Amino acid sequence: MGQTLVYGLFNGALYGIIALGIALVFGIMRYLNLAQGSFIILGSYASFFLFKAGLDPFVSIPLVAAGLFLAGIAVFKVSFSRLLVYPDPGKIKNSLLISFGLMLLIDSLATMAWTGDERSITPAYSGLTIGFAGLRFPLISLASAACAVVLIFSLHFFLSRTYFGKSIVAVSQDFEAASLMGINVNRTFLVSFGISVMLASIPAVFIGFKSFSPTVGIQWFNKGIVVVMLSGLGNIYGVFPAGLFLGIIEAISVYVFGAPYREVTGLVVFVIIMVLFPKGLFKGQEL
Amino acid sequence: MLKVEHLDVRYGDLQVLWNVSIEVNEGEIVALIGSNGAGKSTLIRAITRLVEPAGGRISFRGIPIHDKPPHTIVSLGISMVPEGRRIFPKMTVLQNLEIGAYLKKARKKKDESLSMVFDIFPVLEERSNQQAGLMSGGEQQMLAVGRALMAGNRMLLLDEMSLGLSPLVVKNIFRVIRQINQAGISIFLVEQNVPMTLRIADRAYVMESGRIISHGRSSELMGSDHVRSAYLGI
Amino acid sequence: MGKRGLAGFGLVIAFIALVPTVVTFEYVLNLLIMLFIYVIVAESWNLLGGFTGQVSLGHSAFFGIGALITRLLWVNHMPIPLALLAGGASAVGLAAIIGMPCLRMRSAYFPIGTLALAMIAQITIGNLFPLPGSLSSEYLVTYNTVTRYYLALLVAVLTVGTVYRIVRSRTGLALVAIRDDEAAAEAMGVKTMRYKVLSLMVSSLLVGFGGGIFAYHQVSFYYYAPFELSWAFLPTLTSFIGGLGTILGPVVGAICFLGLSELFALSLGEVHIVVFAVTFILVVLFLPGGLMSINTKIRMMAFTLKQRAVGIGR
Repeated sequence: MGQTLVYGLFNGALYGIIALGIALVFGIMRYLNLAQGSFIILGSYASFFLFKAGLDPFVSIPLVAAGLFLAGIAVFKVSFSRLLVYPDPGKIKNSLLISFGLMLLIDSLATMAWTGDERSITPAYSGLTIGFAGLRFPLISLASAACAVVLIFSLHFFLSRTYFGKSIVAVSQDFEAASLMGINVNRTFLVSFGISVMLASIPAVFIGFKSFSPTVGIQWFNKGIVVVMLSGLGNIYGVFPAGLFLGIIEAISVYVFGAPYREVTGLVVFVIIMVLFPKGLFKGQEL
Repeated sequence: MLKVEHLDVRYGDLQVLWNVSIEVNEGEIVALIGSNGAGKSTLIRAITRLVEPAGGRISFRGIPIHDKPPHTIVSLGISMVPEGRRIFPKMTVLQNLEIGAYLKKARKKKDESLSMVFDIFPVLEERSNQQAGLMSGGEQQMLAVGRALMAGNRMLLLDEMSLGLSPLVVKNIFRVIRQINQAGISIFLVEQNVPMTLRIADRAYVMESGRIISHGRSSELMGSDHVRSAYLGI
Repeated sequence: MGKRGLAGFGLVIAFIALVPTVVTFEYVLNLLIMLFIYVIVAESWNLLGGFTGQVSLGHSAFFGIGALITRLLWVNHMPIPLALLAGGASAVGLAAIIGMPCLRMRSAYFPIGTLALAMIAQITIGNLFPLPGSLSSEYLVTYNTVTRYYLALLVAVLTVGTVYRIVRSRTGLALVAIRDDEAAAEAMGVKTMRYKVLSLMVSSLLVGFGGGIFAYHQVSFYYYAPFELSWAFLPTLTSFIGGLGTILGPVVGAICFLGLSELFALSLGEVHIVVFAVTFILVVLFLPGGLMSINTKIRMMAFTLKQRAVGIGR
């Protein structure tokens, strides 16, 4: 049981990072990006092929991040930017639809390019664990948790200490007023979207260590959206504890119901939350 | 300094501003008065291009601004206090003021500007760590004005400042406006509170149904029969 | 639509009904049966998505349960019409249990809620019924493609007809009002929840029948196959591209989809999805009325050109 919980917590950290990308986009511009999972998988493939070419996956993170950032900006310019004129419900609905199409597009292109086979990044250290208090802690999972923590702190620093970060916060609260401060709102949206896609590079690598195939992106998106709903749409700081919470609940359900139903747990929790608390569990404290 | 020439504005197929021309010279306080729905806010929002002109020209210091995005217009020298205050609700007073100094040129003078704003509005200094959304209407209005001043621009637009505020607060703000103007900032304000406005403005325009129907020095307008009956209830 | 349209429609149906008398090539008949199934799924989805504005990304759950129940009952000797009815009923039952809570969510989140439910269904059924079933020898011997052809055609016509009747009734007006502005509709006294539920029930019933036809058609049957998310994405794609708020839109979309997938079937298997995904995005961005609206747009352009020529208008 203890070991299951350990794995659950590490999974939770991963879910938290996935959720961060989704929450950021939603908090800033009220878009829901269904394709975030597909971007993650794209990153996993990138990392995989870089690994085959000899690059350690951890070292590849910045490269993958850069690539995803550019991809995010390109996608935004071509499609999502046109939705900015809609009011909020229209933005959510239309961004969902567009990202739905985008997800299908990316997934099918990936299947065509790389076949539906499952892949996995397996460096020499993938099986290493550290023993502590009778439990085993996989090295890679520790690294992913560490990355998650670093990420949250960096993001917080960025948003509260840099002028660009502060402008993102302003835009998320009132973009018209922000433009009157001299903030280029369109560029802010563009870059923020790029950043949120760039955030997919970290889960990309860690999912790469497990296993992935072209169509699993949506399952990871689902984890992310559950966490986002749990923490309250638009609240990016609640995302990490909410992720851990989901990880723990999943661990408990694996213990009680067995492994095949692990995926179902999160989804069931999600549906319950959405029905009972349409606004999330914590007060939607935006950026 | 600010010139609006033959401006037309449409919302879809509905025209709301017709052939509007106004001018604000350096150092002046110019007002736009008129009843609700006359189009006053539309005009002021068109100047900062929050609303798109359908025809006509707007220029600032000779530079055309009717085709530029809002953030560029702000960097060219015009700041606006929008209708409804529009302060950032989940930021503190201090954070609101700091973001007001977002422009590169304003960042350098941030500390100066901050102490100037605190001089004008001591209340803001007292409440500098309070969340802006929790303040009273009057305090928010002061914050909005202070925030606009942080940009260090020489032209300030004010959209319906007195709306929803108590007479005492309004009096205070108008006093501050005069103070700011005396420090060298040109003011264009859009207002429903006609008596107070005409008292501080040098000149004023009167708008009805999207058209300018008269303009002149405030003293003239105060004496005009039409203004007296329509807006002063006399 | 008028008498002429109805007559035209009847003619087309008669034509389609005569196909098996001329064509005996099984491949073509099977292809058309799939087309009918696509039409059933898309048209029923469109009642909820296109006319009521609730975009469901989870219709595969209803399709799947209809298929599952129909199959289980039918291979255990229940006559197919009864099995079909049971399948449809089970889909409605599922909709009542899981679909209704989704309707209570804020309308913009309905798609994700239904998607989550479709995923739950897919995983659960995949765990419970991992092995395929096939038909016993007595069933194999009596398997008749032509019968299935006519049954599928019947259900397809029934689906389109039902949607048509609903849309043209006062109920249809309420649905469209809800789609266009739910708050305004509520303010006008339309009991929005009641109509959304009605739309969901009818939609799920019809798509449940579609699932039943699918199960009846397959020889070897993977129980989890109709629960696959592609059956949820298909009606969304085809209805949007064909024309969301139209009767024939989903039909047009279904024809295009089947055509494209056959065209590319022998090459890289996913190309038709790529084409459809791109078209879908373009439709959402630029052509909200889908392909059906192109006709209207062309007529409007011709009309304005005529007016200009005569001197009217700006």
